[in-house]
Amino acid sequence: MADGHAESSKKRDEESEEGLDFSPFWGIEKGAVLQEARCFNESQLDARRCQQVITKLLYLSNQGDSFTKVEATEVFFSVTKLFQSSDSNLRRMVYLIIKEICPSADEVIIVTSSLMKDMNSKIDLYRSNAIRVLCNITDAGLLGQIERYLKQAVVDKNATVSSAALVSGHHLLQVNSEIVKRWSSEVQEALSSKNPLVQYHALGLLHRIKQNDRLAVSKLVTQLSRSPLRSSLAQCLVIRYVAQVIKDTKVDEVTGERPFFDFLESCLRHKSETVIFEAARVIIELNEVTTRELQPAVTVLQLFLSSSKPILRFAAIRALNKVAMNNPSSMTNCNIDMESMISDQNRSIATLAITTLLKTGKESSIDRLMKQISTFMTDIQDEFKVVVVEAIQELCLKFPHKHRILMNFLSNVLREEGGFEYKKTIVDCILCLVKSIPDATEAGLTHLSEFIEDCEFTYLSSQVLHLLGELGPSTADPGKYIRYIYNRVILENATIRASAVCALANFGSCSVALRARVLTLLQRCLYDNDDEVRDRAAFFLSVLRTIPETDSECVEDPLIYPLAPLEASLRQYLENTGDSAFDLAVINQIHNNIASHPDMHASAFDCSSMNISSTKNDLRESENIITSRGEFMSYGPIFKVSSYSSSVVNSCHAVDLTEAETEYKVTCTKHIFKEHIVFHFMCSNTIEDQILENVSVVTDPIEGIEVFAKVSTIPLGTMPLGQFGSTFVSYKRAQGLHPVAKMACTLKFTSKEIDPSSGEPESEGYEDEYTLEDIDVTVTDFLTGNPLSAFRKVWDTLPIENEKVGDYSLGTRDSLGEALEAVVGILGMAACEGSEVIAPHARSHTTLLSGFFVGGHSVLVQLNLGMGPSNSVAMKLIVRAEKPYIADMIHTLVSEA
Amino acid sequence: MGYFSWFFGLMGKRKTKVNILIVGLDNSGKTSIIERMKLQSGKVPKGGMPQEVTPTVGFSVDEFSKGSLSFTVFDMSGAGRYRNLWERHFREAAAVVFVVDSADKLRLCVAKDELDAMLESSELLGKPFLVFANKMDLPTALSPVDVAQGLSLDEIEAHPWQIVPSNALDGSGLQEGLDWLANFLNK
Repeated sequence: MADGHAESSKKRDEESEEGLDFSPFWGIEKGAVLQEARCFNESQLDARRCQQVITKLLYLSNQGDSFTKVEATEVFFSVTKLFQSSDSNLRRMVYLIIKEICPSADEVIIVTSSLMKDMNSKIDLYRSNAIRVLCNITDAGLLGQIERYLKQAVVDKNATVSSAALVSGHHLLQVNSEIVKRWSSEVQEALSSKNPLVQYHALGLLHRIKQNDRLAVSKLVTQLSRSPLRSSLAQCLVIRYVAQVIKDTKVDEVTGERPFFDFLESCLRHKSETVIFEAARVIIELNEVTTRELQPAVTVLQLFLSSSKPILRFAAIRALNKVAMNNPSSMTNCNIDMESMISDQNRSIATLAITTLLKTGKESSIDRLMKQISTFMTDIQDEFKVVVVEAIQELCLKFPHKHRILMNFLSNVLREEGGFEYKKTIVDCILCLVKSIPDATEAGLTHLSEFIEDCEFTYLSSQVLHLLGELGPSTADPGKYIRYIYNRVILENATIRASAVCALANFGSCSVALRARVLTLLQRCLYDNDDEVRDRAAFFLSVLRTIPETDSECVEDPLIYPLAPLEASLRQYLENTGDSAFDLAVINQIHNNIASHPDMHASAFDCSSMNISSTKNDLRESENIITSRGEFMSYGPIFKVSSYSSSVVNSCHAVDLTEAETEYKVTCTKHIFKEHIVFHFMCSNTIEDQILENVSVVTDPIEGIEVFAKVSTIPLGTMPLGQFGSTFVSYKRAQGLHPVAKMACTLKFTSKEIDPSSGEPESEGYEDEYTLEDIDVTVTDFLTGNPLSAFRKVWDTLPIENEKVGDYSLGTRDSLGEALEAVVGILGMAACEGSEVIAPHARSHTTLLSGFFVGGHSVLVQLNLGMGPSNSVAMKLIVRAEKPYIADMIHTLVSEA
Repeated sequence: MGYFSWFFGLMGKRKTKVNILIVGLDNSGKTSIIERMKLQSGKVPKGGMPQEVTPTVGFSVDEFSKGSLSFTVFDMSGAGRYRNLWERHFREAAAVVFVVDSADKLRLCVAKDELDAMLESSELLGKPFLVFANKMDLPTALSPVDVAQGLSLDEIEAHPWQIVPSNALDGSGLQEGLDWLANFLNK
């Protein structure tokens, strides 16, 4: 009995579910409907039936069924016959179908007369609809005929007719703007209509008619801002137009006030919420809005936050989210309201609330915030989670000290269920944090290695394994990662196994202690049933065995061979099919330390070595080269790398006109060590038929000879064709002296021409030299930025007696931002606590800078900028440093610049 | 219930709906004739009789009543490009009114061609043709007999036909033509 009852209720449920999807038009077919449409042709019309058929036709068309030209024409002609019926409902359907289907028929114009008749009929419903349809199908010629009626209709006392004419005007504006422009007086009249909708349409049309005339728009807006409109939608339009006008006009120089701002502010007190929100939104989006201007808008939005209507809450939080991007400080008051919104039923609102909070959050509130978020994360969609994770990443970069809690959070969410995109975002986020926050490396790696234990995405697993291979060996306890990696070899698919083998090999090569164990594991991989995995294992085994017992060397050093030339020369080799074996020396070997072996891991290398323009890559590459050179090991870690590019064209030396134009490319990178400085010159030869050998750069200090003493010069054997070869010059720096120097540089080389007949270089070359641009070494080179989250604390620990204060005039500047940028650019220090963001139109600002001077001496700077009446900027520079001479140096640096 | 059905039956009996097609070359006066007929049947349009009749684009539908008949008139455009539209309305038309500009001798042969084409249509078989020899007020107008000859009306055997001289400007002749049509349709 009970079962039967349950069954019947279940059945009912199913029925009601079906009922949800049920549509009276479900499954109708175009052919059948077209057949039915013949009822339009009957001499005694059945209005109800015709309406139904038209509805079906409209349904089909809205479902994406298209009608062929023949079908459309057929339907259209039958529909025209329906004009004989005086049934008003049928007539409405006729209008609809003409608009919907018939424009594809060429003959659509033939209903013009019928529509014109309707347009002048007594029934308002006919008139408004006929106007809409007519304007839809009319052409320029006929428009002239009906213009008179349309003009009349605009000022018609019936609101629907008037609206129809105005909206048609909008559409006609694209086709024939001249005619519509003649209506402006009528439209103006319609603007004062009592009907809100007419007002709205009239305002829109009026603005469009005038939109190309700035003065007219400005006049219109001025007039409208004085007398508020009845329609709230129209009022919103006014606000938008005002925003446009504000954008086009300049801020009043003297008072700093915007035109129309009072109007916007008054709109914040409008009775309609739509208007209030629109005004607030416009204020928020103003260019360079000041905190004072923002305040009323934020207050209003804050009220919206506690509204009972979800749409208001959503609108408000979305607007505030935008504010948070630029002016986080101006909305601290809202934080409490927003925190309560994390538990909002509407997930969009909740997500926005969280991301906003993450943007405005203070270091102190992070713990609380994270607790709230983690309860919330479980019940939102992946897309929302991605947004949250991205926000957390930003937050973590902002407050590096909080990485522990944030990282924990990330690892928790990583363990939960989620789609690929979501997991990828998390992994990317952790990768980013691991790379940018050194302290977080270990924790991040641990989380990631736990993650791959149970990861269903091959792509992510390989990525993580690669990272483990890269960073794992340098951690305190590399051994613990081996287990995670080798588990992959046992359990996963071939792609992941191959990546795992690479990662293992890296551990083996970098860590002497682990090498024997890794070798055993790799040995086992030789029995893998995938070719690639076996190949890699075999390759790494042989490589690892060649490395001497005590040496530690990374297998995946990215500086073996640049990929592109390797590929090119291999191709060439294959084409020539020479009898000899492939000669690796053909590829210009820039690295001489490591046993040469062809590279297997495309992923580990990018073609950056070929990319001259990408400075960042160059710097990193250069840094890698330096660190891999044994000569500079004793100098300690690199303090700072900065580049100095001199791309020179040899024109004065090329006296002999028969010689093709000579060009050497030389770029210089400065590597600052604790007591040394190394100039790394990357030289390339661009001429095919000559060989440049024994290349070196001779540096000659013009200034600063007392500070720098030359230590060594490392020449380059041959300058490679089309790629970069490296030559180095190193100097030792005297302690405590103002490290400024200027070096004259000369490129010296032995040039050997290639005999074009034999292709062999001449045995005898001649010495040549070429003058490069001078290199400047400035104090900035010895300073690096060190973003601090607690500037004040560090500031107080520095001895006050080392404080140096100076006033400077920075001349006339467009804005404080520009001035600040200039100063920060000179000092090369990092701004702290977000103080580099200047409020727009601010007249004064304080920026906190922090940095290290070479040798690890911290330097802190407070910059007080002020703008005078004629945009002249004055700056007060307060410097505190561990050593007084450093503070002095900063001042010299600024005053010299 | 019975009362209502009786009432509607009465209404239905009083007005029989008839579709007629009014065709003819452009500028022969079709729309003017309809406007005048509407005026005569007591249906005064807004603003009285229009001073100026613009050429009909495509077609328009009008209604007026005559005696116990309610005419629904499809006023077809006479312009060349819309003439192929006429045939689409043949099927439901009960009668055809053909308007000829009597003063346009040159295009009388064109009118004849159009008329002949219609007479051959199977959908119009046996339906009455009323020809208005319009614009009788013009001094150069042909007589109805000449028009009938020009159109070779006497050769028509499959259709009942009538030719009536008319002037849409003052309405003369229209009632006679309509009377003939009404008589014929009432049979």
